[in-house]
Amino acid sequence: MGDIISVSDLVLVYADGTKAVNGISFSVSEGEFFGFLGPNGAGKSTTIKVLTTLLRKTSGTVQIAGYSIDHQQPEIRKLIGVEAQESVVDPDLTGRENMTLQGNLQQMKGEELKERVDELLKLVELEQVADKQAGRYSGGMKKRLQLASSLVHKPKLLFLDEPTTGLDPQSRAGIWKYLEKLNRQEGITIFLTTQYLEEADKLCGRLAIIDFGSIVASGSPAELKRQVGADTISLSLEGGGAGGEAAKAKRILSGVEGVAEVFDSDGGLTAHAKDASRLIAKVVRALDEGGVRLSSLNVSTPSLDDVFLQHTGRRIRVEELGRMPDRRFGGRRFR
Amino acid sequence: MTLFFDTQYLFVRALKKVIRNPILLFFSLFQPVLFLTLFTQLFKNLGSLPGFPSGSYIAFVTPGILLQNGFTSALQSGTSMVDELNSGFLQNMLVTQVNRSAILLGRLLSDAFRVCVQSVIILVMAYLLGAQMVTGLAGVVVILITIASFGLAWSGISLSIGLATRRAETVTAIGFFLTFPLLFMSTALFPQAFLPSWMQVVSSLNPVSYNVNAIRDLALGGITWSTILSAYGVTTLLAIVTLGATLYQFRKVVS
Repeated sequence: MGDIISVSDLVLVYADGTKAVNGISFSVSEGEFFGFLGPNGAGKSTTIKVLTTLLRKTSGTVQIAGYSIDHQQPEIRKLIGVEAQESVVDPDLTGRENMTLQGNLQQMKGEELKERVDELLKLVELEQVADKQAGRYSGGMKKRLQLASSLVHKPKLLFLDEPTTGLDPQSRAGIWKYLEKLNRQEGITIFLTTQYLEEADKLCGRLAIIDFGSIVASGSPAELKRQVGADTISLSLEGGGAGGEAAKAKRILSGVEGVAEVFDSDGGLTAHAKDASRLIAKVVRALDEGGVRLSSLNVSTPSLDDVFLQHTGRRIRVEELGRMPDRRFGGRRFR
Repeated sequence: MTLFFDTQYLFVRALKKVIRNPILLFFSLFQPVLFLTLFTQLFKNLGSLPGFPSGSYIAFVTPGILLQNGFTSALQSGTSMVDELNSGFLQNMLVTQVNRSAILLGRLLSDAFRVCVQSVIILVMAYLLGAQMVTGLAGVVVILITIASFGLAWSGISLSIGLATRRAETVTAIGFFLTFPLLFMSTALFPQAFLPSWMQVVSSLNPVSYNVNAIRDLALGGITWSTILSAYGVTTLLAIVTLGATLYQFRKVVS
């Protein structure tokens, strides 16, 4: 199948001189579930705004379903659905009215629109509250309404800008369920941005890791993790590593045979090593002999966070309240 | 055709918002009602001064209050545009196939409609307080058209400032900065002859005066086409400038 999104050397510089997107190239095939994973301010939303005709690019080429983003915006708008990061439901209108208005603006009306609205309200499980004003919906319900609205004109390609940011785990799981269904059963191509590792890992068939406006790595989650090639040992130090303890621990850990790179992390250290679980005894003994006191030690197979760390030297920080627990897959905890 | 339908959808949406926020409508009428009741009581005796065109101050000042309400109402247009710009609602519309002009047109028409509803309420109150309408229903219709078009021209100011600055505070500040001086230095509250001579010069150039005079003629005198047409001429000129600026700023946002 052909590429539904094709981007090459895309650059976007804002009027104030901020270079938000720094020459990225990628393509997405029809039917794919593709994601942009990166921290706040990495250029994810800016890229979506360019791809959805909201912002004019500074340079580069962008084609959506073969249409040029510079000259064929109306054709593109017909094909795409967009769910913005901000909540854009009208609080004074009911859920049904919000969707009907969206359908009207997408040039739909009458019985056809009415049926489509009912069908989508059922899909996102809002039919019970469809006639209540959307201002009284919870955050998760608003997001579901927004998702349903973006689907009203049956788009072939759906853009989702951080669709679950700020939601509780239960609402998040609900949204994931709909998205998987849309992609698998209805064949809608989905382009999603997220700062959640778990979301990218679970949903995306392929993803690009983006940082400071550049793509630093891309591939399927499994491929990316395989490229890290090593397990991760994360340890936290008693007292958070204050008073030179962290530096000392780093020195000792680097000296253990089989340990590759060692990075500083919040209140402790992260190290990469092949077959890390077999090194644990050695690591603990070395640190103990050196007088370093540990508060926890965790060995895990590579996660997308490790992929990000490997390419940028930093961990992804989720900047918001009520952040998701930073769960590692396949982690075994030693205390 | 999409322009017509899309404008209609957005007009209806705006109306629903007004109806579902009766408190907002009430508070936006608070100021004119205050003027109508307290202000007119305060200056009640002015009406009997020699040189006042009508015996009652309330009848004299009602056109000024209508205009003042038109000002305030037009300010809201800009601030709610800023809201939609900053909340992302506007951007959400822009990724759909909606006709771009309909976004602006739907808003302007609903603004005009809102100011007409408010004006009818003010006219009814003024009537109950003793102000007469010599030209009857036909006069009321012409008055509403006059205020609605003046309001549209004025919406252009708040909309263009809102689109350019994206700050509601700026819209409100500049709005008030313009509103009161223009209102005081016009024939809205006092006859031209009562103003100091330098203010008379300002007043005779002030678009507010032209519109107040037209409305006042309709309410107290009769239909004088020359006054009405000169009011419309001034409003049209104002509208070309302000709505032109709005269109320019809107295009910058849309493209």
